Amino acid sequence: MLVLDDVRVVYPDFEVRYDLAVPEGALCALIGPSGGGKTTLLHTIAGFAPVVSGTITFAGRDLTKLAPAERPLSILFQDHNLFPHLTAAQNVGLGIDPRLRLDAAARERVEVALRRVELGGLGGRRPAELSGGQRQRVAIARALVRDRPLMLLDEPFTGLDPGLRADMIALVDTLRRERRLTVLMAIHSPEDAADVADLFAFVADGRVDAVGPPAEMLAPGRSPKLDRYFRRS
Amino acid sequence: MNRLPGLLSLALLVGIVALGFYGLLSAGGSGAAIDWGYVWRLVRSALVQAGLSTAISLVLGAALALALARRSRFRGRALLLAGFNAATVLPAIVTVFAIVALFGRSGWIGDATRAVGLDYGSWVYGLDGVLLAHILLNAPLAARVFLAGLGAVSAEEWRLAAQLGMPPGAVFRFIDWPVIRREAAGVAALMFLACFSSFAIVLALGGGPGVSTLEVAIYEAVRFEADFSRAAVLALVQVGACAAILLPALVLFGRRSPEAPPGGIAAPRPDTGSRRLRAFDRGVLLLMAFLVLVPMATIAIGGAASLGSLVDTTVLEAVLTSLAIGLPAGLLSVLLALGLATLARDLRLLRRSLADLTGAAATLVVVVSPIALSAGLFVVLRQRVNPFAIGIPLVVLVNALMALPFTYRQVEPPLLLAAERFGRLGDSLGLRGVARLRLVEWPLLRAPLLVALAMAIALSLGDLGVASFFGRGELVTLPVLLYERLGSYRVAEAGSVALLLTLLVGGLFLLAQRVSGGFVARPR
Repeated sequence: MLVLDDVRVVYPDFEVRYDLAVPEGALCALIGPSGGGKTTLLHTIAGFAPVVSGTITFAGRDLTKLAPAERPLSILFQDHNLFPHLTAAQNVGLGIDPRLRLDAAARERVEVALRRVELGGLGGRRPAELSGGQRQRVAIARALVRDRPLMLLDEPFTGLDPGLRADMIALVDTLRRERRLTVLMAIHSPEDAADVADLFAFVADGRVDAVGPPAEMLAPGRSPKLDRYFRRS
Repeated sequence: MNRLPGLLSLALLVGIVALGFYGLLSAGGSGAAIDWGYVWRLVRSALVQAGLSTAISLVLGAALALALARRSRFRGRALLLAGFNAATVLPAIVTVFAIVALFGRSGWIGDATRAVGLDYGSWVYGLDGVLLAHILLNAPLAARVFLAGLGAVSAEEWRLAAQLGMPPGAVFRFIDWPVIRREAAGVAALMFLACFSSFAIVLALGGGPGVSTLEVAIYEAVRFEADFSRAAVLALVQVGACAAILLPALVLFGRRSPEAPPGGIAAPRPDTGSRRLRAFDRGVLLLMAFLVLVPMATIAIGGAASLGSLVDTTVLEAVLTSLAIGLPAGLLSVLLALGLATLARDLRLLRRSLADLTGAAATLVVVVSPIALSAGLFVVLRQRVNPFAIGIPLVVLVNALMALPFTYRQVEPPLLLAAERFGRLGDSLGLRGVARLRLVEWPLLRAPLLVALAMAIALSLGDLGVASFFGRGELVTLPVLLYERLGSYRVAEAGSVALLLTLLVGGLFLLAQRVSGGFVARPR
């Protein structure tokens, strides 16, 4: 279980407060208006946000005070997931050793991860030589070699074509089943994840306003804010 | 649209530069009598000096930028930053004063060390002093450029580094170093060019043939030996060398990748915890504060101590002379830039290459060094009029042209923006003539024009070379007065002039910075 228990985050100009519980192995899609706090929620779990009070636990372990690198998770941002001057393989390799000291076995692991995201043979390319979808696959491959049980995705597929977006989400779904990952994924269009998500969490005004299975969340009457978000009222 | 102002600007620019070259070529034509060994020694001396100045400034600038980036909050940081920024806009001759007043034989430190029985002589005259002055001006500039580059690193990269658990060494290797490498090429070329063409600092601190630049040699050939053919040959070599330095740099500029805008909330750097790194950064900050801020404090303290010496007709006349040169030079430079930029914009609709050529004409003036151009004009005019008799107009003209690359860079982008973004909208609404100027161009141009004007005036106010070239001791501007007082070891009286000049120039830069809302680098 990933649990955020009354976690308060305070920035100079705004403040959020989260309560959320996601079972292990579940895929939870974060939906809601832009600026509503989806990204901040992911940053809070990843250790990038100034938490003032409350606790974050995962599988019974308290993460609240851990440094970002010590937390049992990987995070994918919308952009800039790769260092532009390093090759795809080097970017993946950073997930094994942040000084990039890789032995033959480590390099083999990188290659396997790249093949797993269907980028076999493209390890020598730099990000500029890859398409938007390929770049995000490299970031996923890095998450694979890091081998952490929790995966956070901050709208990493928003800029892609609808078909490609569906493919990427399907890939995430397959990987989480293979590896029993718990996934939190902020998405722009709720319908993208309606088929694969176990849960939708609706985040608005810096709060988790409602949580439930997609079918329930997509039906009217769950919460006034959610209805307004879907223009149902 | 009316192209007359643009064509006139272009004609003036090309005409003056061509006249200068004509003068140089005609006087240097009999270059047979030139001692090429001497020329080569000069070039080599300037290259070595500029290379050392640039290399040290780059290293110290990078260390300073990293220290400031890693230590984002400590007491006095804002003051430190303001001091470093101010150092980048000091007129060269003021820097000379600061170094002489501080490190010179009868400077503060010299006095203090002699009091305890140490006499290290006057090492400020020679390569050491020249390097110190160049580093004082250039290291903070490099730091500012690097710091801006580091500031443009996306928050995601820092979060990624934190998430991957990168140690400080890896952060440097994978994030800082690529930024520094990318920015270094451009800023190094500019600094190298500035140090290679350095005039005031080398004239005052160089001392002898050991450390010299072609600029100083040209000046000496004309002023002291009236050897015009040697001056012409040196000037041609100077222009050729500058072109050779700058052209590869322009290619590098062209390849520069656009910077990612900093997104959202700034993420903290993950490498601020290491104790050894913290000690290192503290050392760097202390060293740079000593090298840069203490000399600047010397200007303030030394100047304030002798404020009384400002009440003097010589000083008043120097202020008036400086303004009589600086104001028209700034205005002329901005008008030329405006003319050229409108011409380039109109030509862009006809033929792109013509527009690019116009822009290149405005920016490539930087290759023609002020002393070389002055020498060329001097040679041509000498046969017809007395160049000294029309000293002020000549100084105004040359200073205006020297500021042109900068004023053009300020004015051209907003004009183009006005045309590209609002051109069709304006056409469709029937906006024309003055109404269009007032409603479309002026709001976009107002701030850049003011910035350009302030900078061009500041640049002309700080000029020592051109004013003393055509002045023959009679055109006493503030920098000339400062140089004279330094030359006659009246350091206390020089202090007040240095402070006055610093306040004038600094005030203009501050104004420009306020108006533009950002940091304004000293144009070179």
